[in-house]
Amino acid sequence: MKEQIMEYASGNEIAAIAVRQIGYDLMGYYPITPSTQIAENLDLMRAEGSTDLIMIAAEGEHSAAGICYGASVGGGRVFNATSANGLLYALEQLPVQSGTRYPMVMNLACRTVSGPLSIKGDHSDIMYMLNTGWLIFFAHTVQEVYDFNIIALRLAEMVRLPAVVAFDGFFTSHQKRRCYRFAEDAVVRDFLGEKKDPYPFFDLEHPITVGSYMNEPDLINNRYQLHLAMEEAGKRIPELFRSYQTLSGREYREWEGYQHEDADTLLILLGSSYDTAQAAVDRMRQEGKRVGVLTLHILRPFPAKELYEACRHANYIVVADRQDSYGAGGGNLSLEIRAAMQRYGGTARIKSIVYGLGGKDFYVEDAIHMLEWAAEENEADFCYYGVTSGSQAEQVQEEFFAPLTREKTDLGITTKTLNATTAVPKRLAPGHGACPGCGIPVNLNLLLRVIEDPVVLLFQTGCGMIVTTPYPKTGFKVPYLHNLFQNGAATLSGLAEICYRKQRKGELPHGDILFIMVSGDGGMDIGMGSAIGTALRGHRLLLFEYDNGGYMNTGYQLSYSTPKGARSATSHVGERQYGKTFFHKDMPQIMAAANIPYVATVAESNPADFMKKAEKAAEYAKEYGVAYVKALSACPLNWNDKPATERSVIGAAVDSCFFPLYEVECGKTRLSYDPEQSGKKIPIIDWLTMMGRTKHLGKEEYKDIVEELQMEVDRRFRSIKEKSEHPFL
Amino acid sequence: MESVKLPVQNQSGYYEIRLESIGGLGANLCGKMLGELGLQYLGLNSTSFSSYGSEKTGTPVKAYIRYGSMEEEIRVHSPVTHPHLLGIFHEALLTDESILAGCQNETQIVLNTEHAPWEAAKLYRQMSNVGKEDMRSAGQSKITGRLCCVPAQRIAMETHSRINVVMLGAMARVMGFVPLDTLYDICEKTLGKKYPEALAANLKGIQKGYEDVIVEPMRTPESTTMADAEINQKSSEWGYATAPIGGINPRYGNSVISDLSPSRQGYIPLFIQERCINCGLCDSTCPDMVFQFQKGEYKGKEMMVNKGLDYYHCKGCLRCVAVCPVQALVAGLEAEHSRKEWFIPNQDLLRKPDYYEKTGPDGYVTSESYLTEKRMEGGEV
Repeated sequence: MKEQIMEYASGNEIAAIAVRQIGYDLMGYYPITPSTQIAENLDLMRAEGSTDLIMIAAEGEHSAAGICYGASVGGGRVFNATSANGLLYALEQLPVQSGTRYPMVMNLACRTVSGPLSIKGDHSDIMYMLNTGWLIFFAHTVQEVYDFNIIALRLAEMVRLPAVVAFDGFFTSHQKRRCYRFAEDAVVRDFLGEKKDPYPFFDLEHPITVGSYMNEPDLINNRYQLHLAMEEAGKRIPELFRSYQTLSGREYREWEGYQHEDADTLLILLGSSYDTAQAAVDRMRQEGKRVGVLTLHILRPFPAKELYEACRHANYIVVADRQDSYGAGGGNLSLEIRAAMQRYGGTARIKSIVYGLGGKDFYVEDAIHMLEWAAEENEADFCYYGVTSGSQAEQVQEEFFAPLTREKTDLGITTKTLNATTAVPKRLAPGHGACPGCGIPVNLNLLLRVIEDPVVLLFQTGCGMIVTTPYPKTGFKVPYLHNLFQNGAATLSGLAEICYRKQRKGELPHGDILFIMVSGDGGMDIGMGSAIGTALRGHRLLLFEYDNGGYMNTGYQLSYSTPKGARSATSHVGERQYGKTFFHKDMPQIMAAANIPYVATVAESNPADFMKKAEKAAEYAKEYGVAYVKALSACPLNWNDKPATERSVIGAAVDSCFFPLYEVECGKTRLSYDPEQSGKKIPIIDWLTMMGRTKHLGKEEYKDIVEELQMEVDRRFRSIKEKSEHPFL
Repeated sequence: MESVKLPVQNQSGYYEIRLESIGGLGANLCGKMLGELGLQYLGLNSTSFSSYGSEKTGTPVKAYIRYGSMEEEIRVHSPVTHPHLLGIFHEALLTDESILAGCQNETQIVLNTEHAPWEAAKLYRQMSNVGKEDMRSAGQSKITGRLCCVPAQRIAMETHSRINVVMLGAMARVMGFVPLDTLYDICEKTLGKKYPEALAANLKGIQKGYEDVIVEPMRTPESTTMADAEINQKSSEWGYATAPIGGINPRYGNSVISDLSPSRQGYIPLFIQERCINCGLCDSTCPDMVFQFQKGEYKGKEMMVNKGLDYYHCKGCLRCVAVCPVQALVAGLEAEHSRKEWFIPNQDLLRKPDYYEKTGPDGYVTSESYLTEKRMEGGEV
């Protein structure tokens, strides 16, 4: 046995340690709760210099999977981590990875798949992977997260298939527990050996083609090869577990059981619930009940025979799934176990339970209920556990506000001053849960206070959405729709077109309705394609971006709009890293290049200018096509400054020319405010040092970074100014 | 390492701790420190985790810690329902009786309060009457436990430390099996490297918490155990038979019932109407739609006039104070302004609900900001 160190770590923390020890070459990723901490921890290690892992923050999981694919084709050891909808967004890429036989490892901190959007843990995401041709490990403890990460990579490279190591989001990813890791990285690296590529991609003397166009009769053979690789993996697993045991002292097999040998009734479930259920078994055994519990370590290749052998003596089996294969009479695990038992002649009565969706906690008492239910003869063989019917008494809908009909908002205000527009009813009700001083509602209200037509709002995923619509509450007094942030603009275009059609057909009253998408800068990263596509199609709608320069809702990871040099959870500051390494995205210019009729930047520090542009944008969006408005939006929590100071911080961003105020109207650029001319221009560093996230840039050692940023900011400002002065530029 | 002996264990063999707090008081970090303390310094197996949610300020936070023997794995992953030790980081939390759920006769409660135990017990009795009717209908009787009090907020201010380290010291003393020097060790390990300049103050905070907590076990009156099973199951009025399909929510604008005063951190904007020029800048910078403008007259001109603030929804960010050009809005300590003549409930409401009345004068007054905790931890809360 090799020397090991005891750690007190969460699943995410130990996963990052495993990745460091393995010495991966590259990680392509996109942050998503609850897996994000893996990338965050690795980035911190990078900053400290304890790993030289290349970390590429993609603009979405689909791209992250692409980055990983490219890097693995290139012969690198490659890692990724994701959850829930991130996995589904990447899903298309997963069979590409397995079908062309490039091994890599992905970690999946399991979480429920939207919608309605929930960030909590269940197994609805992992079950989408069953048909992707990936090896699937499921770790139910923090210790297994570490061990399986090492074993999975070895197996993946043995049979040339990608592997996923799944574990419970939050219950395993976030709970800190005792676990052990090898003291020496060399132990891990020796176990894995060198990565061998049968067809090195960069061998210029023997160039290869990867990704052929393949139909019948060949494709089925390719798939059969993949099937054989899975079979091979199944055969290799026992020896692999044994050789790992000689290093670690920890014994594994495809499944794990507790008190199952003589159990009359067996509960089978995945993940951390298995551990909790053991306590239930102990209690029931004390009462003389012969019960046991069992879990799986490996879902692909599915250990059907081994599982049958382990369960054959039980008379009653209940399989509890934290997801449902809707309409199939059970979750996927229960379906597969039913099939396995049937295949080998099992006689136990099997029941299926769906439980714990959306992170609903699993208590010892729940496991006891399940085990008792399993042996009840008269019960059905499928149920949802833990649902509530609700109380009928509360069915009366309480109305808090009068509906915001056209008459209520169309006040005919001629001069839209701040004072006059206080009369326009707010579309957002108070009571939302944004942090004190948050810029999002401020900007939304500045936009909407000049709009007297009815509005329809679509929010992409982000802080703005989370804090306004925590079920069963909603902060919206107007029709509101959320969609995942790769797709908001497209969704809104569909919504708007149906409205316009209904109006044309006389099914809805005529009169302007303004369709507005509200998105953070994160949404404009992952949803950039959708936004540009919508812009190019020219629907009549308004895209409003609140740019707080980071993925704030998930704990502030870098976005493409984060200023260069800024500290974030995925751009740490340390000996080897100075913060974010690339310049902020210039979304207004990207949208201007789509030649939409109106593009504008606004800031709350210049409210009159803001309102004027909002009015214009609304007019263009109603009459001509896509209008795009971007506000720099304060985030006191993650900018790490005082809530009360935010308007002046925004003002400083404008005065430093980091965030120039301008508009592009029908192709013509007009600078709205020139800090140089008004003698108000400040050096970029004066703005940066106002915020905790960029305060470190004031130090001498970061002078070069600041200088680079200053030059870039000046260059961009100069370009806007030139365009403003020369209408044909 | 020699293992300490746990004074009491539950059916599964664990000693369990629950911390009740709100974002900003450092309970999450405190939970992590207690967890690591068990494993690395007390010779106990241990686990710790927090309630999980969105990343934002002012929301309730719970942290859970389980200790067990080094030889056993800690198998249970669910939240702590029947704590042996309950740490309450602010007494205002007691307005929600579910905070005390699962307390039993032997539960030790460490409460951050300025009150002496007998006063707190009295107050505590009153508070447990707040939701009397609900409690009766749920078949639950009074909450019980042994109350220990520590003025953690004052100690934190005096020692320039944080509430969470003071609570850590106090709780360790009450637990009775945690040597003071192990607390110094864990504090140094957790905070020392990252914030060496704050270490001495935090060690002092721990020590003062340890010394000043009033441990004398004080049985609260009418001690009976709460019904347990019901505690765990959160149920909503909207269930599968009653909720609109698809998660659709037709109750537009019902977020208005949310009391946001707990988000405040001790300060509120005070309104001096005589100075107000009705420019509307406050309304343009307020994220919470607090300002109530109505049609009126100002200097003989018909215009919108600022009538007051809706403190039910004010989070105390003081953005309005910063932008007001005439000091008609100034910052004040909330504790000194329990009567607010210029408090106007949201004027668009169709009816004036009584819950506005219930909003206490000072909400949750926190001396440390959530931002500090973020900095300390560099991670999620």
